[in-house]
Amino acid sequence: MKFLNNDYIHLIIRLLIGAIFVYSAVPHVLNAMGLASSIYNYRLFPSSIIGMSAAVIPWITLLSGLALILGVKVRAASLIISISLVIFICLAVISMIRGLDIDCGCFVGIIRKANWIAVSEDFLLLLGSLFTFFFDRTRISLVLLIKKLVFHNKNYKGALS
Amino acid sequence: MLPQTKVDYASVSAGRRPTFSWRPIIKDCLYFIALAILLGGLLNYSLLRNAFSGTLIPRIQQNQVVILKAKAKQLYGVTVIEFASAKQLYDEKNAVFIDARNAQEYEAGHISGAINVPDREFLMGEIDPGKILPNKDSVLITYCDGGECELALDVAKGLSERGYTDVFVLVEGYQGWEAAGYPVDK
Repeated sequence: MKFLNNDYIHLIIRLLIGAIFVYSAVPHVLNAMGLASSIYNYRLFPSSIIGMSAAVIPWITLLSGLALILGVKVRAASLIISISLVIFICLAVISMIRGLDIDCGCFVGIIRKANWIAVSEDFLLLLGSLFTFFFDRTRISLVLLIKKLVFHNKNYKGALS
Repeated sequence: MLPQTKVDYASVSAGRRPTFSWRPIIKDCLYFIALAILLGGLLNYSLLRNAFSGTLIPRIQQNQVVILKAKAKQLYGVTVIEFASAKQLYDEKNAVFIDARNAQEYEAGHISGAINVPDREFLMGEIDPGKILPNKDSVLITYCDGGECELALDVAKGLSERGYTDVFVLVEGYQGWEAAGYPVDK
């Protein structure tokens, strides 16, 4: 299980998940009404929950994604992303059980139905975010690089998640 | 109480994983959430106001109908029927209503008297519309769930391609029909 402690594997997974979440969040940040419409399609939530979720969730995912890309607060960001993936997997499974044929609302401009394919993809992402959470070893990151270059910081202190 | 341990910087410098501690992680998560609530709340003030005053869902439904109408015309080339006109045809018994959702959804609730032609089976050729709808001149109104559901558009397009002349789509769908208090079978 040597790969679990490999800095480069950790970096690749971290950047990949961060990029996916930033890519997913930016259009929703710019158009929260569109996300509200997608959440409404699940037909599970009242108006207040739909509004709150559409306003706040894109920012949570954007901040978490950016944190993963920059390599700051990696464990907290991974935990938030893992929880949001678990919630989405549950929503997709409930929708499938109820026989709803709806778009998951994950990405703007990409038709991605809330079906087993989406659940499998999210499960893979969940494994990735759990990996970055439990095997966090952020030794390669933009923030650490800047600290090293600017402050000649060699002991990594203060930049750890 | 969450256990708290100091971050083991020496382990990190030596290439080992740092000691695990929940408390700072939870604290950071709360910072993320607080910042997101602040930014999301400030930038989406009107959305939140609509959400808490109960006007958000009608607005969403209105937007979805507008988008679906545009899609029906531009992408599918099918004609949309106004909600009031559909109800009038229903009352006069001058139209056949076609439910494009799957059998499970149809059985859970459908417009009273509607025929189930599930989109998937219809497009796969498993359903012969000629057997269910022998008269190609009759007025057909397809519908699905409403919202962003496009199954009714698919079926309407398929029926038009098979020679049915008066095919319309009710974009408000079953949800809109039921919400208006019109007859449904459950």
